Amino acid sequence: MRHTRVLFRIAALFGFAAMLARAQAVDPKLVHPPADAWLTYHGDYSGRRHSQLAQITPENVGQLQQVWRFQTGQNQAIKASPILANGVLYITTPDNIWAIDARTAQELWHYQYPPNDAFHIGHRGAAVYKDTVYLTTPDCHLIAFNAKDGTIKWDVVIADAKKGYWSTNAPLIVGNHVMVGVSGDFDNLPGQLKSVDADTGKTQWIFYSTPPPGGKEPDSGGATGGQMWNTGTYDPELNLVFVGTGNPTPVLNGEARPGDNPWTCSIVALNPDTGKLVWGFQASPHDTHDWDASEVPVLVDADFNGQPRKLLVQASRNGYFFVLDRTNGKNLLTAPFATVNWAQGIDALGRPIPDPAKRPSKDGVLVAPNESGATNFRPPSFDPKTGFLIVSAQDGYGIYFFKTDHGSYGWAGADYNLAGKSFLRAIDYRTGRIAWNHPIGDGAGTAGVLTTEAGLTFSGDNSNNAIAFRTSDGTTLWHENIGRIQNAPVTYQLDGKQYLVVGGGASLYAFALP
Amino acid sequence: MLCAVLLAASLLMAQAPVNSQTQGRGPAKGAPRDPTQSPASQSRPKSATPQAYSAEQIRAGESRFAAQCGFCHGRDAAGGETGPDLTRSPLVAEDNRGDKIAPLLRVGRPDAGMPAFKLPDSELTSIVAFVHSQMDKFAALGGGRRAVDPGDLATGNAADGRAYFNGAGGCTACHSVTGDLAGIATRYEGLALLQRMLYPAGRPAPAPPKAIFTLASGQTIVAPLAAEDEFTVTVLDPLGARQMYKREAVKVKIENTLAAHFDQLGKYTDSDMHNVYAYLATLK
Repeated sequence: MRHTRVLFRIAALFGFAAMLARAQAVDPKLVHPPADAWLTYHGDYSGRRHSQLAQITPENVGQLQQVWRFQTGQNQAIKASPILANGVLYITTPDNIWAIDARTAQELWHYQYPPNDAFHIGHRGAAVYKDTVYLTTPDCHLIAFNAKDGTIKWDVVIADAKKGYWSTNAPLIVGNHVMVGVSGDFDNLPGQLKSVDADTGKTQWIFYSTPPPGGKEPDSGGATGGQMWNTGTYDPELNLVFVGTGNPTPVLNGEARPGDNPWTCSIVALNPDTGKLVWGFQASPHDTHDWDASEVPVLVDADFNGQPRKLLVQASRNGYFFVLDRTNGKNLLTAPFATVNWAQGIDALGRPIPDPAKRPSKDGVLVAPNESGATNFRPPSFDPKTGFLIVSAQDGYGIYFFKTDHGSYGWAGADYNLAGKSFLRAIDYRTGRIAWNHPIGDGAGTAGVLTTEAGLTFSGDNSNNAIAFRTSDGTTLWHENIGRIQNAPVTYQLDGKQYLVVGGGASLYAFALP
Repeated sequence: MLCAVLLAASLLMAQAPVNSQTQGRGPAKGAPRDPTQSPASQSRPKSATPQAYSAEQIRAGESRFAAQCGFCHGRDAAGGETGPDLTRSPLVAEDNRGDKIAPLLRVGRPDAGMPAFKLPDSELTSIVAFVHSQMDKFAALGGGRRAVDPGDLATGNAADGRAYFNGAGGCTACHSVTGDLAGIATRYEGLALLQRMLYPAGRPAPAPPKAIFTLASGQTIVAPLAAEDEFTVTVLDPLGARQMYKREAVKVKIENTLAAHFDQLGKYTDSDMHNVYAYLATLK
């Protein structure tokens, strides 16, 4: 007995030492974010997008008023999550970054990247570390700016845009590792996540989700792809970064790449110091429908079946909700959260089993979800009080085609969305049960989600409304028509006032109580 | 009064169908560069001067290329870890039977890490042949979405489709093959007909959604719906102008015939879908 206790103490000491070693590297503000900041894409490392602020409540949210509006003056809409550090907001669109005063919305500096031919589909946001701000460009450069005046410190190439890579990524920073992901579906390109030194831009490591040219690992069965275009999450205690990987290429031709095609459509856990894979879980083995598992891997510390657990939850583009033990990647729960017709069942590892009858065919198959997915880039939010993952979901149908003539390069097939209906949907993490379901319009939603400790959920609908809901039951409490919302609102408190900041169209809006 | 005008307006709203062939989503050939499209989804460079090489030359070039060049440029010439993608190379595009490639191979690009190659002319020609054939192959292939030919869709049984249309599908509740669907296959074909059959979104809307207002008196007013969300309903007034009502201020129900199409998407088996398509394709 005493022996056990001593061993336990030694183990605890070692654990403490390990924590100290990491604490020097990891910014504690990212683990426990202060009220007057939104320091990283998700606000903190957990991906919960849940704020402790409670000045705005279900009772007074109806009184919210616009404090300021910042117009980018660009044709491209804001699809980014703003970053707030030291009273300065950083907001991006493709090729552009603005630093604005968070109290007045006055522009402090603006940088515009030279015109380039890469894919300008959208941009998810900047990243900050000490006095540096980072921006990815459509043609896959990473630029480091002086936060103070926007002058360039350095500019490095993350991937070769001429090959068909592009980037929309808001980098994740852990210690001095700036992790940058890229996209690329129209070419057979290996999936890569590159870590560069925060101070110098020097490459530290590259994690490949599918083998690079000449490489053998991982054995993907001939698949390329698996791009990590969304921002991951991080657990400082486990020292693991969690990232969702995209679909395999060729996209719709599964014959060219037999087997499960790891690590495409997966959640991977990586050591941020080495880029080495610690575990992987495939949300869609052998995907043939463009269903990235890039959606946010949300970290939840809570009981599961009566046991306190370190969980990871994801509402995936393929229509399934997953609960994993994030210490080892073992599946605890798999349940559909939207209309699905493509799986025959769930296998022993908790993965949906693709129905061969729903593979793209010459004469077309009718598939749910459609290509835009049961959800997508728009971030969900986890509310600890209710245990709900609140996600912008779509019930939709598409038709998928593939014939041998379509070849095995890039898309290698054709597919068309037919129709979809969108909902803000509360998923109970304990059971996967849908606790409430609030319609937000036809087609795919684009607004992400924010929850607060006061019991409020902020998101938007498909008719340009920013909306506040009661988290417990989905009742609408406030709305304001501001333009299409294409990421999640954020919140912070400055000078004792809680702000709600959200992009609508090409403008950024701030709301507060009068 | 208001009732009568709104009703008249809704009758005026009936629109004549027009031919609208749906095209694939890929960019049209020769279209100007669109920065919102991936460069990879746009047309690649092609050999500017058409050059014919024998299959034998290309095959020989493939093995020579793999041995001499593949390590840097990839076995398929589409680029490797250190060498660029030659299938997108402007120099290769401008080359005619080795007039640009051969001089480069002889001296290399020492500053870029490419050595000089001393190769017999026949080997050099075969490598040139292979690189051009790869460039043109990739250009023809592209990476974007592919086309669906009308013939691809012709796998259903029209008789079974008719039975489904008149029976289990419940299509006759709204449609008639001698009425609205008469000659449908002359207006749409292939993918466009299939998409129109599954979910006729876009224009023309076969039957525009209706807003049905109930007044305090119990009287109902029907108006064509222009837009709706959780908070408002917008209808067209008799002059065609949009009128917005707050939902909390009126009692209104929306009737959208497309809802039946959406529900049907969850009911079709793939063979039902192909059979009904085959049946509609006979309505010429």
